[in-house]
Amino acid sequence: MEILHNLAFGFEHALTLQNLMFCALGCVVGTLVGLLPGLGPLATISLLLPLTYSIPVGGALIMLAGIYYGAQYGDSVSAITMRIPHASSIVACIDGYQLTVKGKTGLALFTAGVSSFIGGTVAIIVLAALAPLLGEVALKFGPTEYCSLMVLGFVCVSFVTTGSLLSGLAMCLVGVLLGQIGTDVNSGMQRYTLGLPDLADGIGLVSIALGCFGIAEITKNLDSHEDRSPFKGKIHLIPTWAEFKRIIPSALRGSAVGSFLGILPGGGPVIAQFAAYAFDKKVSKYRDEIGTGAIEGVAGQAAADEAAARTSFIPLMSIGIPENAVMALMMAAFIIKGIQPGPNMIAGHPDLFWGLVASMWVGNCFLIILNVPMVRYWLSVFKIPYNVLFPAILFFICIGTYSVNNSLDDVLITAVFGLTGYAFSRLDLDPPPLILGFILGPMLEENFRRALLLSRGSFTIFVTRPISGTLFALIGIIIVWQIISFFLQSRRAAAAGQPPA
Amino acid sequence: MNNRNLLKGLFLVAISLAFGLGSFRYPMGSFARAGPGLFPLLVSSLLLLVGAAVVVRALLSEPERMGFHVRNIALILTSLVGFALISEHLNMIAGILFMVFCAAVAGTDYSVVRNLKIAGVLIAVAFVFQRFLGLQLPLY
Repeated sequence: MEILHNLAFGFEHALTLQNLMFCALGCVVGTLVGLLPGLGPLATISLLLPLTYSIPVGGALIMLAGIYYGAQYGDSVSAITMRIPHASSIVACIDGYQLTVKGKTGLALFTAGVSSFIGGTVAIIVLAALAPLLGEVALKFGPTEYCSLMVLGFVCVSFVTTGSLLSGLAMCLVGVLLGQIGTDVNSGMQRYTLGLPDLADGIGLVSIALGCFGIAEITKNLDSHEDRSPFKGKIHLIPTWAEFKRIIPSALRGSAVGSFLGILPGGGPVIAQFAAYAFDKKVSKYRDEIGTGAIEGVAGQAAADEAAARTSFIPLMSIGIPENAVMALMMAAFIIKGIQPGPNMIAGHPDLFWGLVASMWVGNCFLIILNVPMVRYWLSVFKIPYNVLFPAILFFICIGTYSVNNSLDDVLITAVFGLTGYAFSRLDLDPPPLILGFILGPMLEENFRRALLLSRGSFTIFVTRPISGTLFALIGIIIVWQIISFFLQSRRAAAAGQPPA
Repeated sequence: MNNRNLLKGLFLVAISLAFGLGSFRYPMGSFARAGPGLFPLLVSSLLLLVGAAVVVRALLSEPERMGFHVRNIALILTSLVGFALISEHLNMIAGILFMVFCAAVAGTDYSVVRNLKIAGVLIAVAFVFQRFLGLQLPLY
């Protein structure tokens, strides 16, 4: 019952005219960003961070969250109609696009919209129930636990986002090192600033994010010269009752899978989709049809996608550790507004926490209206040629970086990171772990130094404390498993390379 | 020498050495009382290990070619740097014009009229930002 009471309290905050407006704005921008190539949710959130300086805290968070989960909706629209995933809807390209080929685009869009709605709703209940509980556990965490949790997060994120543990881990470490630039909080000493006064406060997060995601992405799109032919087919949205009945069970399964995977370190929409899709392929009544344009193939993953996007707020708001790059940016937004996310946040700022949770459901309603009845109008966005789009994106990147400190030097720093980001993408290194490392780096150092201070310099403290010991055991298992599977793979490859005797 | 995995490893090793060797300029302290140089040294040593592992793995497996198109990235970076410098010394309207015309060369086709239209719209957007969102843009 307490949850209902709290949610009612949250809706009071979410339903003010101002917050409704921010929520709607976030959802519209999010959908647009999900649809268009060249700007993912990561780049957009960092682009809008400077704008949030002048908006009230609650509204700013509601808007940024709306961009994140709104982008997941928009993304599946472009995946279904044209087989282009930008942010994460890779799985929607399989069955969703097959449905389009069969001429059932409307059905696929309807399924994705409704399933996302179901997934979002389930996840909000999980979020409201679990975050306060987990927050109480997190109050027992000391610096040692925080350290091991962050390291586990690095390992999981590296593993999930790139599929290659080594590359991902390397990017996390590079991020941590970039986070070292600037003034050391403990001693006040300036590190790696090369004597430049601009670097004394560290490199701007916005510069790194826009360089690595914005500029590098634009250049990658320009390099590939892909021609996007806009979708011209007919859209018939309303499904038959028989079709509608098939959506529900699969969407509920997807919501459960997504809610669970969203909470784990390194989890998030991408892995949740794949898991939900695989799960449906195993247990669904219509499993034979999946892959050739089945409703289940769209419903499950869309629900999981949306559920995971919301439950990934749980670790951030209850423990204070973001589990993926987007959440790391959200944490930066919290901190800009003077709020430290963590166990004390729910008790200290109940209006923010419950307002945000309630706004997610409000946003859910906006999004289903935007993406189901109004989807036709969105599709006309694709008629804008990329040649017009990318100078405009560049302009927003310039204005965005400039307005953080009203400094044109920041634009130059962004250009440097644009080059770095492009080099990363050519070297097959994914930048999201870098952002996570960059934001968590200073926190990791702080907790690491504090933990060693407590143990008088002995590293055994990381394994003798029960929670931290368990987490490190997990990290060990993941790494050993990776090494073994690498050797097994190379042996298999060697065996396959030899001609049969 | 165009082996993507090998280059990746060497790149990581280079970054780790830059930060690791740099950390010796700061006091190390002891583990119980860590100085500002200790943590970066530890992290860059880890990165050195990872980079070395990538190099070893690259030498063991088949080389992969790396594609690098200098033209587009150079154009985009030139337009950014040009925007910053022109806005600094002249004004932002000229900066926007330069950025649009320079970046558009990287597109699939080039049209002066279209560039003028894009630049016009963007300048209008910048005015709106300045007037209504309170951004301090040095437009003129």
